[in-house]
Parts: sequence; C-alpha cells; structure tokens
Amino acid sequence: MEQLINDLKLQIKEALNLEELSMEDFDENAPLFGEGGIGLDSIDVLEIIVLLEKKYGIRLSNPKEGKAIFQSIKTIAEYVQANRKK
Amino acid sequence: MVDVLSTNITSPLGFTTEQNYQTVRSGSSALKRYEGLWGLPEPFAASLFSEGQRAELAISGYTFFESLAIRSAREALSYIQLDTATSKVVLILSTTKGDIGSYPSDAARAIAKALGVTTTPIVVCNACVSGLSAQLLADRLLSAGFYDHAIVVGAEVQSKFIVAGFQSLKAVSEEPCRPFDIERNGLNPGEAAATIVYTAPSLNPSPEEEGRIHCEESLPPRGEVWRGAAWHLVDGATCNDAYHNVSPSPQGDGCLRAIEAVMEGRDKSLLATVCVHGTATLYNDQMESKAIERAGLSDIPLSALKGYYGHTMGAAGVLETILTMRATDDGIVLPSKGFTEPGVSGMVSISGMPQKTDKRAFLKIMSGFGGCNVAALYAKDPIQIKKSIKGEWSKTKTVRISSEDGESLTDIYKEQITNYPKFYKMDILSRLAFVAAEKALSNSPLKDPSRPPLKGEEFSLPLREGWGGSFILFNHSSSIVSDRQFLSTISDAANFFPSPSVFVYTLPNIAAGEVAIRHHLTGETSFYILPEKDEALMRQILEASLCGTNATTAISGWVDAESETSYECELSTFDVKSE
Repeated sequence: MEQLINDLKLQIKEALNLEELSMEDFDENAPLFGEGGIGLDSIDVLEIIVLLEKKYGIRLSNPKEGKAIFQSIKTIAEYVQANRKK
Repeated sequence: MVDVLSTNITSPLGFTTEQNYQTVRSGSSALKRYEGLWGLPEPFAASLFSEGQRAELAISGYTFFESLAIRSAREALSYIQLDTATSKVVLILSTTKGDIGSYPSDAARAIAKALGVTTTPIVVCNACVSGLSAQLLADRLLSAGFYDHAIVVGAEVQSKFIVAGFQSLKAVSEEPCRPFDIERNGLNPGEAAATIVYTAPSLNPSPEEEGRIHCEESLPPRGEVWRGAAWHLVDGATCNDAYHNVSPSPQGDGCLRAIEAVMEGRDKSLLATVCVHGTATLYNDQMESKAIERAGLSDIPLSALKGYYGHTMGAAGVLETILTMRATDDGIVLPSKGFTEPGVSGMVSISGMPQKTDKRAFLKIMSGFGGCNVAALYAKDPIQIKKSIKGEWSKTKTVRISSEDGESLTDIYKEQITNYPKFYKMDILSRLAFVAAEKALSNSPLKDPSRPPLKGEEFSLPLREGWGGSFILFNHSSSIVSDRQFLSTISDAANFFPSPSVFVYTLPNIAAGEVAIRHHLTGETSFYILPEKDEALMRQILEASLCGTNATTAISGWVDAESETSYECELSTFDVKSE
C-alpha cells in the first residue's frame, strides 16, 4: 500500500505538472480539492482518470462516480488496490 | 452597425440557407449516432456530411475544410454583385481548428484566393464564440472605414481530434443533444459552413434606390431567394469571465456583462428571441439560464438550435444567426429540439414547440473556452447606435520576449514571478503570454494598488477588478505545439489516451484566458491569426476594436510559439485620453 501511495504521488505530480509541490509536502490524507488542500480542479480530475486507465487499467467513464474516490491520494490508492487490472 | 447583404448555410441539412431553414422547420435533425468512427473507442452522436455530400462539395486542389468554406461563400456571393478583388473587401474566417496540424492562415489564404479576395484574410480563433467574434470584427472594421464589405465565413470539419478531445472532457453525448433539458448530458460535434456578407450602411442602397433589395418585406417575393438582406448587426460585446478556462462562471457573470453591455438603454420587448448557445452540457446551459434571468430576459422566448446541427463550433455563431434571422422573418421562434423538461435553475422561457412572433429583433449569445462570452443584437429596423468613446490612444509600454533571449520562460517565472503554480500546467503559448503580460503590466497605470504584492514588487501588479479594457492577441502558429502534442496522445490505437489538459490548450485563445484569470481581465479577449506579423493590419484591427467598444485601456500584441524552443512575443499596453 505504501508503495502504491508513493507511486501515485509521483505519477500524479508528473501528470498534473505539480512542479512546486515537494514530495515531502504531498500528504496522502490531504484533500485534493478546495482551500487548504492540494488545490486541484475539474480538468485535473479528468487527467487522473486518464492516468488510472493508462497505468492500472481502471475505466471510470462517469466522473460523478469519482467523488468518493478522488478525496485524497489515500482514497485513490484504496480504490486502485481493489480495482486494478494491471 | 453593419447591414447584411447575403447569407448561406452549407450543412448536412442542405447547401443553401433556404434548404436549411425549411428542413429545420420540418423538424428534421442532422444528428446521428456513430460507433467506431475514426477508430474512436466510445460512440458519439454528431452532425456530419455523408460521403456523397463530401464528394459533391469537394473542390479539386483544396482540402475539404477549404472546399466547404469556399462553397458556402460562393453561394452567398452568387446572389449579389460584389467585386471581391478591391482593397475594400476583407475575408474573415471563423474556425476553432480548421485543418488539424496545419496553419489556419494558409487555409484562409487559399479560400480568399478562390473567392478573388486580394486583401489579407483574418482568422478569428476565439473557441466556441468565434462565429460571433468574426461578425463583431466585421462590424468594427467596416464602421471604422477600413473596408466597405466583409465576407464572414464560419467553418468547421469534424475529426478524431476534436471528438476525442471533447470526449476526454466528458462533454460529448452518445445521443442527440437536449439543450436546457433535465436529461441533457453533453454536446454533439457538428460540421458546417455558413457565410454572411456585410456592408457598411452608408454603402447599402435603400429599397427606393434599388428595387432588388426588399427591405420591408417579411417574406421574399415569389421567385426571389431569401438571403437576409435588410437585417442589421446593431451592436455586440465580448466579456471574459476571468474565472476558469473550461468551466463557465456559475452565475454567468461574463455572459451577463456582455448582454448588459449590448442591451443597456435598449427596449427588451423588441426581442423576438434570445438565440442561446445551448450546447447541452450541464454547465453551459445552467450558466446561460442564470445570465438570462439576471439580465431580466426571463420572459423572452429562447431558441437553442444545437438539436438540429450539433455544435458546429467555428460555424455555429454564423449559422445560428442566419437561421434566427430567417425564422424571425417568417414570424417564428424556432423550437428548441431535444428540449422537453427544464433542467436549469435560472428562470427562462424555452419550448420544444414553435412559437409565433411579430418582433423584428433578436439577441444571440455564445460562451466558450478561455472564458469568453459574446452577445450580439440583430434587428430589421435601425436601432439607435450608442456612442463609443473616441479619443487619442497612446502606447504606454512594450515588452518583448523571444526564444533568442537565452533565458527560458521558466527561468523568468522562477526569478521574477513565482507563487502561481498554474504556470507549470500551461502550454508554451500560454506561458509566453503569461510571462509577457506580467512584464507588460508591471508598474502599469492599470495596476490595482489594493492588491497585495507577490514576490518582487515589479511583477506584482494585477489590474483592478472589473477591468473593462480589451486584450487582443495575434499570431501565426495558432496552437500548433499543443495540437501536435494532443495528436501524439490519440494517434496510436494501442496507446490511445487523449489528454484533457492538453486538449484545452489546442485553442490558442486559452492563452488570453490564462492572462484574464491571472489579472482579472473581465473585458474583451480576442485572438486573431494572420499569415504573418503584419503590423499595419494588427494596428487596424486594434484601432477598429477600440473604437467599437467603451474600453479605455488595452493590452495587445503578437504571441507566437512555433515550437517549445522557437517563440516570439511583443505585447504593449495602451491607454486612451477621452475627449
């Protein structure tokens, strides 16, 4: 799980060009959206959906399903662990 | 104000305005469901030309996009006598993507040549609002006296590129779209070309002077083709949300400001309809409903026309304007096909049934990526023209940045700007515009002293809230760098992962949107593509634009990125001393 969380952090940082976010400050429990969190927006979610399909074979066609999944890196990791196809 | 001389719509529903109108009146739609087309893994509904129609429209020696635009313009020109070869005729081409992977101004030049136009063609690339922006540009250039006639052509051809892009944004519906409806779930791409030939009013003979123009007839006399003559584009306005490049302002702020700028001091009861953008995405229609309610237009019947043609992108603003003129002449507000039950929270009057009208004016609104919103007022009877601010414009500052400088854009950002992580998400064109705008606006008289400075005082001076100036950009390479990058994400079927964030930047006006968000530029944002850095033409467009608005400040210039390592930008700020 720890490895997966770390992989996801690296992959998301790269895919979303989170250049100024250091890995030390990238807290897996921090909210991804809104104030006080990582501060992602709707396009970032769509880009993470592409990433999950590319790296883990997970197809998420309706972004609305994603609300619970995309709360934090931790919740994404749990979802990936349970649903990954590669 | 400018006068319509002639029109054409060339779409899968017909190759003349009249064929299109009659087909739409009969309730037909061009939308069909496609599965597996262009190797796309997900199905979609779209309005596409059939193989037979493509063969019929194709002109040897031209791409299909060019052929389509030429056919539409030639049909419109066939109803009038216009010497296109004079220096007083300009071609304005509206398209979002033109021929993917090539320069839009090359297509514009080919089209101009085919039409016998000898002046430099101007491509308007303002995302979804381009078709209205192109008409506003025609109005300004003609009103300023630079040209006597403008041939405005909006054209879009659909492709794997556009459809995969909108699918990656989860914005495409598999079924025919349902504007403003509770069940709406996305747009349908459409292809079409539409043309309006405009003339300056002073050059347009009155009906008494010239018998063949029947201004006061609501229907053309038997034997004469309806071509839109006697309609005027009265006024228009462009306003940026300065909110987000893809999501519109939830309350429709920019759209509302554009409507208000046009309708202020004018009688709303003159309007037969508001022809909305109505893409049938959740966000667009909801936003429009709020703007319409806030503008006090809840009682005016809306017409949403995407249920017939889908979203024809660069053609949409021209096509939907022509169709609404035709329907209004017929005493009809066209039904919003696909609509049955309201699915928006703003109070609006919309119907899936045709309604009768005896009004002779309408409002057309559109909104698009990059946060831009346009409203335009059309009327059969002359409506009083508002005075615009006239005065002496002076250049206050110029900034030049180029790939030859030896300092990368990221270096400049790190050393002189910082604290705006979004910079790293931008493509090269947006980074270039962003950095140049920071420099151009530093220590500018446009600054807002109340905003706290960021790092380095010199680069920390955003504009005041509610800025009503104009931000007008030009280039040659459009969004070619992002276009190539997006193509690389969709060209391999085994590795097909269209990137939504890259797709957004395949519209060059996103660069203007990024700067608008950063500096709260809530006035006009426009993006024009020219064959080369033509200073005289750029000055002409800027001057005409500034005369046509109430702007008292402007930022304008050249921002071009041919590749990651070859780019050039020259941006200036302008101020007006009003008389």
